[in-house]
Amino acid sequence: MATGPARTWRKPPFIASPWLRFALTVAVLGYLGWALATLPFDWGRISEGLPRAARIFGGGFPPSFERLELLATGFKESFQIALLATLLGVLLSIPFAVMAARNISPRPVYLVGRAVIIVSRSFHPVIVAILFVKAVGFGPLAGILTLTLYSIGFVGKLLAEEIEEIDWGQVEAMRSVGAGFLATLTYAVFPQILPRQIGLSMYQLDSNLRASAVVGIVGAGGIGSTLMNAFGRYDYDFAFAILLVIIAVILISEGVSGWVRKRVW
Amino acid sequence: MLEISQLVKRYGRHEPVLKELDLSVEGNSVVSIVGASGAGKSTLLRCINRLIEPTSGSIKLNGCELSTLRGQALRQSRRRIGMVFQGFNLIDRLTVMENVLAGRLGYVSFYQAWRRRFPQADIERAFELMERVGIAHYANKRADELSGGERQRVGVVRALMQEPDILLADEPTASLDPVTSEQIMKLMQTLASELSLPVLINIHNVAQARAYTERIVGLRHGRMIFDGPPERFDKAALEEVYGGIEAPDESVAPSVGEEQA
Repeated sequence: MATGPARTWRKPPFIASPWLRFALTVAVLGYLGWALATLPFDWGRISEGLPRAARIFGGGFPPSFERLELLATGFKESFQIALLATLLGVLLSIPFAVMAARNISPRPVYLVGRAVIIVSRSFHPVIVAILFVKAVGFGPLAGILTLTLYSIGFVGKLLAEEIEEIDWGQVEAMRSVGAGFLATLTYAVFPQILPRQIGLSMYQLDSNLRASAVVGIVGAGGIGSTLMNAFGRYDYDFAFAILLVIIAVILISEGVSGWVRKRVW
Repeated sequence: MLEISQLVKRYGRHEPVLKELDLSVEGNSVVSIVGASGAGKSTLLRCINRLIEPTSGSIKLNGCELSTLRGQALRQSRRRIGMVFQGFNLIDRLTVMENVLAGRLGYVSFYQAWRRRFPQADIERAFELMERVGIAHYANKRADELSGGERQRVGVVRALMQEPDILLADEPTASLDPVTSEQIMKLMQTLASELSLPVLINIHNVAQARAYTERIVGLRHGRMIFDGPPERFDKAALEEVYGGIEAPDESVAPSVGEEQA
């Protein structure tokens, strides 16, 4: 082995050109400085607000569980919204996922399916909830519609991707026996995506429960509405109790859905 | 009787995979198709049941032109063509019985298929065939719990459930160990003669082709270059079908020695 001068090595920089590297650093720092300087931070208002925040938190202690009935009604409604929306959303997501899978749908159908999924994914549930509250009025129906749409978008997209990755041999086998389109779907496609579908449904139920609290704030029913009313009436101790129960419920639902998902295949 | 004439399959603007191929199979003969990978064996079989669309040419099964069929008519002809796959292509998450009954999917309504309400005659035929190949006791097991040889038996039974006029087998033994693959070849041979069914088998194993089939067709670059009984498939023919294929590039090997210098 030849022994020459010791060879050194350094990891090549991520951006090769030193000029570009320097310019980018300056640009990012400059923008940050400018953004901080121009955003309207009212320091006077902030220092005034801090004691107010402290008062709210102070008012929240100890949390009051006196109006347990109201709390229970709110949560019952949230559960109903989440369950119904998950059921509807997951069922409706199946046809849209089939439509939006490139490998089994003809191109025009594929484009329609993708469009539906993209549109239902493009707005945050809160924005959709505001629209539905305007359309069908305050209450749980607006919440159900919102979360159904949200579920179609999310489950539909992931399911479509799952369909695109199935073992094509099983589809070929069903075609070779002369099975029609629907029979091919139920025999060769659905069994392959079933575990994923169940996992996604559990996850979606979990996620809808969380979101149902949020969309309630804009008037779509459930515990969110109860929370908003409590804040509106300066019932900070009750509001705090609601927040604590929300955290507990989310923790439990996360544990349960995680356990179920692990059990399914 | 299967009559293929002037069959061409071309992908895009590439050189055709099949070049004006003529082949006819009469009666209940077992024919093996040999050739190197990429010779067009798989494409040929898949053109027959139209899993692949032929570019031009004609394929007739018992006088019925297959290459132009569409929709319902295509599905009805596919029922009469059984296919056995290299990777078995079973529905892994369904039971053996469901896989076997899937061979009847071309005959039953979607509701029957979905609810698994297959006609009594189908269920009896399924049990008979499964008993015949020794897998009846697995009826309610999930297909992915079986061993390779057992899985391919399910594949064969599924194809036979179709009451096919012809059986296509695309390298049915390539995923199996040598002993099991002999068993499957033997099984297909005897079933073919019992049911007087013509069989087309794509196969890499020339010894098995010689032992279990009565006619060998050799493909090379999409053309038929040999057609005859196994006795005539001699060393020269073998050389012609498989020979001259470039060996894997071994030029990397010599550089290993340099390090020790």
